[in-house]
Amino acid sequence: MAILDIRHLRYYYRTRRGAVKAVDDVSFSIDSGKTLALVGESGCGKTSTATAILRLLPRNVETYEGQVLIDGQDVMAYDADEFRRKVRWRGISMVFQGAMNALSPTARCGLQVAEPLMVHYDVEKEEAIEAARAELKSVGLPDYVAERYPHELSGGMKQRVVIAMALIMKPRLVILDEPTSALDVMTQANIINLLKRLLHETGLAYLFITHDLGLASELANDVAIMYAGRIAEIGPATDVYRSPQHPYTQKLIQSVPLLRSEIAPEFIPGAPPDLTNPPLGCRFHPRCPYAFEPCGWSSSEFASILGEEVPPAGAEKIHISHVAKFGTKDPWTLVASPSGETNVSALASELRDLAARWRASVPFLRAIDDIREGDGRVIVKLHQGRSPELIGRDSHRAACWLLQDGGTTVGE
Amino acid sequence: MESDSVKENAGPSFPEGEYPLVQLDDLRTWFSFGRSLFRPPVSVRAVDGVSLSILQGETIALVGESGSGKTTLGRTILRLVEPTDGRLLYAGMDITHAWQKDLIWLRRRSSIIPQDPYSSVNPTFPVYRILDEPLAVQHIGTRAERSERIDRALENVKLNPPSLFVQKFPHQLSGGQRQRVAVARAMILEPEFIVADEPVSMLDASVRISILRLLRQIQERFRIAFLYITHDLATARHFSDTVGIMYAGKLVEIGPVGSIMGEPLHPYTQALMEAIPDPDPENRLRERPALPGEPPILTGPPPGCRFHPRCPIAKAGLCEVEEPPLRELRPGHWVACHLAS
Repeated sequence: MAILDIRHLRYYYRTRRGAVKAVDDVSFSIDSGKTLALVGESGCGKTSTATAILRLLPRNVETYEGQVLIDGQDVMAYDADEFRRKVRWRGISMVFQGAMNALSPTARCGLQVAEPLMVHYDVEKEEAIEAARAELKSVGLPDYVAERYPHELSGGMKQRVVIAMALIMKPRLVILDEPTSALDVMTQANIINLLKRLLHETGLAYLFITHDLGLASELANDVAIMYAGRIAEIGPATDVYRSPQHPYTQKLIQSVPLLRSEIAPEFIPGAPPDLTNPPLGCRFHPRCPYAFEPCGWSSSEFASILGEEVPPAGAEKIHISHVAKFGTKDPWTLVASPSGETNVSALASELRDLAARWRASVPFLRAIDDIREGDGRVIVKLHQGRSPELIGRDSHRAACWLLQDGGTTVGE
Repeated sequence: MESDSVKENAGPSFPEGEYPLVQLDDLRTWFSFGRSLFRPPVSVRAVDGVSLSILQGETIALVGESGSGKTTLGRTILRLVEPTDGRLLYAGMDITHAWQKDLIWLRRRSSIIPQDPYSSVNPTFPVYRILDEPLAVQHIGTRAERSERIDRALENVKLNPPSLFVQKFPHQLSGGQRQRVAVARAMILEPEFIVADEPVSMLDASVRISILRLLRQIQERFRIAFLYITHDLATARHFSDTVGIMYAGKLVEIGPVGSIMGEPLHPYTQALMEAIPDPDPENRLRERPALPGEPPILTGPPPGCRFHPRCPIAKAGLCEVEEPPLRELRPGHWVACHLAS
């Protein structure tokens, strides 16, 4: 049975600009002795997923729902006190990003590592520190470290102290949030080796959060690629790395500069979306080179692209003159009013020409279903987009419309 | 630059061609502290005897771990820091100990792209003022000419259309866009030499590549020499012509990118390359070779070769005694190791 199983987890928080949909229907599970790497760009909801699992919620949380099962037990039903006693540290502990800089400067490392034992199990201080010494030894630190203050240690040693702290309560799962991001490459390699060793020696499991696909491959049995609050692709590391299905995963893999290859890295044009107002349909469609009819181009996206705010790459050449303004009636209906120099039928035929001519090379134009005239305006009907489900064979699944009709492979 | 109203020295001129723009000769930058009546000062030997030359239009990547002295070296070359010893030549002119007020020409001909796009631009300035300031300081052009130049700079860094960006404040821009503004600012005086100090380490992986591509395009178009300071050997491989590896204030290996990546000769470079994972699901199945220990403290570096305490092949009686000089073991590829051949 899976140690951690999360199902349809949603976690939104309120801001002045609306709810940020940081985690939006995320499901995955992790077995004992295994590592799931959660990979994505900054702001895609990786860390929010971790804090949602541990229920470390800010005050402005708006939605927090779904199921979090630890050893089959749904912990969402626990009240705050029960959750603290049974889940945090004991069931799941976490190594936070930059945690080595959050060690208390005024307490010796041994005491800091021992503290969870004293708080949760009422262990005597001396006994707890003795246990801390053993734990520090198991993460490869010399004896004297227990007596030292954090400022006396190097970055790599402090990171080992933090890992010892996460292990002292013998948790079932450790969440590692960018555990090596502030360290030098050599120290990083040493820490990763330590994490590998600990995984093999104990029955632990890791949820490994990183933006670095190279680093993820050091630990991952399974990989989940996250984009804009959703999982774009999930599966065994071998499948995801060797035959990525989602265009985002493909692009992400191509964007890694390789040390051992001449193949030049590519970048993904555009930027991740604003999660207060994520794109409709597939959230990746504005940056996707293969986006087609069902992917979810909306009328407001059309209005801003054709209204020449910021055209996406490849669409710079699309230029419409003689439009007074673009309006939107609903997400799938765009209304264009002609300016004084032209009339409705001329504008409609200009739009039709444009759509026919650039359809093949400029993805968003494929979303046009029909162009009609009416009421002195041109009405552009768009294909309705829907959010794609995660589908695929066995455990390797991706959420992409290109895969929805029987699992064809994306790309050339 | 033609509309120059100031009579300052334009700096040295030199013939076109493969002439070194910057030349370092046994350059040292030490920082001293703790000076008192009874104690000699303690010196941090951040840069300790580095010799190299940078050609016009060349990108040279300086790779090293934190504390290896790479940033100090970059700042010393731009004379933001005064060297302690050695010689620093810019276009053949000795600027090792030149006065700042005699270096205004250098400020016009060189610039820096800092690491952190979140703190390197003034948050109270709109993009227009950020880009206008270097021009104003150097008294270049009329208002209209400057505005024209700012638009062109924004187009060069692909912030299109410029009219959309000039009035924005940094907080309205994404990290990648801010770094593009920092690149535009470095470009605005049309320099011939730019020090890019970890220009992409704060950015997301996919954005990183677009900024590095942009720098490469700008460099090829305007024939700018770049000193790309980084800890990331993989981006150095793809975005530079020459790679220099620094360890504990010294250059341990330098050469053409293909030669270094194809056949690293210094044991430190070899260890560094082995420590970096490329994405591969089989990485999980093996330990990654990594050196134990940490780089030395630069107030009292080890005698002999500074890498010897961590070196897997160090030879007793040689490596801890004698400091290895840089030797040319392959064409243009220099290594400071007694045992490399």
